[in-house]
Amino acid sequence: MKKQAIVAAFTLAAAFAAEAQIKPETQIKQRRAGYAVMNFNFSSLAAMAEGKKPFNKDEAARNADLVAALSDYMKGFFGEGTDKGETKAKPEIWQTRSDFDAKMDKMISEARKLPAAARADLPALKTAVTDAGAACKACHDDYRAK
Amino acid sequence: MREAGLAADQVAVWDLPLRIFHWTLAGLVVFSFVTGKVAGPWLEWHMRSGYAILALVLFRLAWGVVGSQTARFTAFVRGPRAGLEYLEAALARRPLQVLGHNPLGGWMVVFMLALLLVQAATGLFVDDEIATQGPLAGTVSNALVARFTTLHRYNEWVILGAVVLHLVVIAAYHWGLRVNLVGPMVHGHMAVRAPVEPPRTASTLLAGVLFALACAAVYWLVIIFPRAAA
Repeated sequence: MKKQAIVAAFTLAAAFAAEAQIKPETQIKQRRAGYAVMNFNFSSLAAMAEGKKPFNKDEAARNADLVAALSDYMKGFFGEGTDKGETKAKPEIWQTRSDFDAKMDKMISEARKLPAAARADLPALKTAVTDAGAACKACHDDYRAK
Repeated sequence: MREAGLAADQVAVWDLPLRIFHWTLAGLVVFSFVTGKVAGPWLEWHMRSGYAILALVLFRLAWGVVGSQTARFTAFVRGPRAGLEYLEAALARRPLQVLGHNPLGGWMVVFMLALLLVQAATGLFVDDEIATQGPLAGTVSNALVARFTTLHRYNEWVILGAVVLHLVVIAAYHWGLRVNLVGPMVHGHMAVRAPVEPPRTASTLLAGVLFALACAAVYWLVIIFPRAAA
């Protein structure tokens, strides 16, 4: 129940962000904060999947829930003009927006498979981590400055 | 007069450790490039390959000081004049016969070793900001990690350029100057026009010891030190 409430809150926040005119600086800050939390928790899952860290179901479930909950939070913070400022987001995002959105949606759908996989077993987690990681990379390759 | 199975005008130029070093390094550079591009679960192997490259380069630096004559930096690192003279001769299609690295090739050896050392060293600090961090990324500031990551990503293309240049020059020697450079790097021998004194060869055992030391140093750097620092 608690998890659903969190997901609902994030979804609502994302929807709200898309509606309102939030200044670019704030949008960028939200994006970076969200991805930082995702990166930290996803790294923990990957370390477990690769055997670099012992597989702990409770920790994995918590990591996976956070990654899944945050995966669509940033979607509403890629407004026009947010390629300028302290961001690695490339202007190409707004030039080929439909491709960017498709890659974003792919990442979201892969990230949402993580909570179940983390609660299942290590091989399931491994597969889900590989797929989600590939979805992250697909977008970084095209739309994130090095 | 002549050794069994070896013509009198053949002289040993590349010792066994150097040849093993060369081909292992070539294979690992290709493997690293591919696994770095594919990424995902292959990044684990990309990192291991990088550690092996670091150990190989460290070994080569040591071998360049105490190894066989043709492997020593003092034997092949020459000034710009020697390089220009050699280039002039090569362009006039009369390359001067050199036992070991010629003056231009010598610069290329130093250049490529430096590029690979930079690549392997920066790789230890890389954070791909998805799920993978180099073993030393946690020991320095994030600003430095970002800088090393950028360097690692750009240097990759400089290495690719150097590899292409290396291959183009080998092809030019083969078809343009009728000089086979690949054969000697495989079997170690080179044909000479007139009898020469063969270059002095260092002990293979010494090479083994040096490589073991290089591996131990890398093991300490990527496994023991990060654990102690954490």
